[in-house]
Amino acid sequence: MYWLTKEQLPLLVQKLAEEYKIFGPRHDRVSGEVIFDHLPDLSELDLQAAIPYNPPKFILFPHYEEILKYRYQPETKKVRIEQLNLLEPKALIGLRSCDLTGLLCLDRFFLDQEYVDEFYLAHRKKLFIVSNTCIRPFPQCFCVCTDSGPAAREGFDLDLTFTGRDYLVEAGSKKGQALVEELNLVEADSESLNLKKQIIDDSVSSFDRFALENKAWISRATNRLTTGFIKPEVWEYIGNQCFECGACSFVCPTCSCFNIEDANLASGETSRLRTWDSCSFEGYTKMAGDHNPRKPVEDRRNKRFFCKLSYSQSKKYLRPGCVGCGRCARVCPGDIGLPNVVTYIRREITGESGE
Amino acid sequence: MVKNLVPIVSIPEVATIVDIRDEIEEVKSFYFTLDRPEIEEAFKIRSGQFIMCTVFRAGEFAVSLPFSPENDRKHISVRKVGKVTAALHQLEPGDKIGVRGPFGNGFPFEEIKGSNIIYVAGGIGLIPLRSSIVHVLQHRQDFGRVILVYGAKSSKELMYKESIREWQATENFETHFTIDRPEPGWSGEVGFVNHLTAKLDLPVSNTVAFVCGPPVMFNAVIKELKLKGIKEQNIYSTLERHMKCGIGKCQHCAIGRTLVCVDGPVYTYKQIRTLGEQI
Repeated sequence: MYWLTKEQLPLLVQKLAEEYKIFGPRHDRVSGEVIFDHLPDLSELDLQAAIPYNPPKFILFPHYEEILKYRYQPETKKVRIEQLNLLEPKALIGLRSCDLTGLLCLDRFFLDQEYVDEFYLAHRKKLFIVSNTCIRPFPQCFCVCTDSGPAAREGFDLDLTFTGRDYLVEAGSKKGQALVEELNLVEADSESLNLKKQIIDDSVSSFDRFALENKAWISRATNRLTTGFIKPEVWEYIGNQCFECGACSFVCPTCSCFNIEDANLASGETSRLRTWDSCSFEGYTKMAGDHNPRKPVEDRRNKRFFCKLSYSQSKKYLRPGCVGCGRCARVCPGDIGLPNVVTYIRREITGESGE
Repeated sequence: MVKNLVPIVSIPEVATIVDIRDEIEEVKSFYFTLDRPEIEEAFKIRSGQFIMCTVFRAGEFAVSLPFSPENDRKHISVRKVGKVTAALHQLEPGDKIGVRGPFGNGFPFEEIKGSNIIYVAGGIGLIPLRSSIVHVLQHRQDFGRVILVYGAKSSKELMYKESIREWQATENFETHFTIDRPEPGWSGEVGFVNHLTAKLDLPVSNTVAFVCGPPVMFNAVIKELKLKGIKEQNIYSTLERHMKCGIGKCQHCAIGRTLVCVDGPVYTYKQIRTLGEQI
């Protein structure tokens, strides 16, 4: 463990900027909303900012991305397929532990299954991660229910914990360690280790005071979702509130469904685009000839929660698919963010009456 | 089931259409060879697998492979049903397509040696079963009774007439055909394929069944096979879904906890029944 003074922070960022494209939390100039974004102006980085509106998944899995390009000339029967270079060193600074956990879920899903997703891998290859302990939860948070915060435990190169003025720094990898040494950071004593532990403990115990919007005690819901013993009426109740807007999927750190389309360009080339998709859309499972195996909205809705909480899906992520960031609850116009859905399922289990 | 050799995962390999045959109305077979000789050489499949086929400037679609893993010409048989397949139907010999795959688990072959096999197909449901039929007939001595029960709306809707004639020339291959309504000149059965299945004297013990066709036909046939005493774990089928990646990432083909592209497309009826979604 090391100390990074407030004055040294810009040096760290500067140092990383020499090698990496820098991403981090900043305030949107128009709305004031905190967003996790590319930082052309490094001074905009705000590590004290609230949890960003969007998770950082777009950096590894962009909203839409050209994954390959081809030119086909029917007259000459010539095809030229161009594989694109997606590799770009990127540093993610100030990642909250929920978002880091989400990223690790994506790693396991895209890289550790039967097939490796080559496009995700290209983005992931040269990544530097600086996580940031939440010394106090935000109103929407429930990471303590999903075992993904308020402090990072794995997956970072450097982990920062704000102590009121300076930061305690933990190196989690060789390249993290090398950077710490390059910056000549002062080593922290054993008392500082206790200080970090104390800060995290204080944060956990302050959830009852500050994280008031959401609670999601997921374990019993997980059991029900896995075994499928949830009454159809519960899904109907949930489905009736769904606007099918897909916002929950788009702000979820672990949602990664995508679509692939070939777009013909004016240049005569064709761009194969991979774009975000959502299981809440009606066309998601529709096949050619208009046969759609999933029809009613509640049928589609329960798939998302199955994906987030069932044991079978957890086997892919090696943990639950929900990381407790509370974003889905924040954006859902129908008020069926994950915490509410968990509440409805628990209500059914305990036999309490619904609204 | 054995896992596959290395498939073409992300970037399509270019292939040339060498021959096109009209099968039935709106269905054509496209014979192809892969342009790069080393890829053509390495491209090995198992019955029941599928590829992602690119029609340049139109898009990509998932399609089952009807050819045998051994000594059979590479082809796909495709019904014109959407935007991309319509574009494919416009193509001529010499035109190029893109190929990724083969993907998916495939039908069991080694595991079922020594068994009787019943193939039950409805309409273009014969396409995904063709590969297994040809492969089994190529190893006829390794199997017990081999029976094809095949039904279609009309005689014009029966797929692979030429292949069927060849198969019928094979010793010990029983075939039973039915069409929905009587037709002049039709000497086979009339009625639905499930009714024909019910009537036939089929083996039950040491028997596996492969069933493929539209959902209504599928469910009706399963019912008959179960009534006869064939176990759910010995009834195989192959499922279709909207697929985008073929490698278990896009999630479009999720059924319950499985992904058709990597866990399927071949499932036993026992598995299908517990997927938790309609097929």
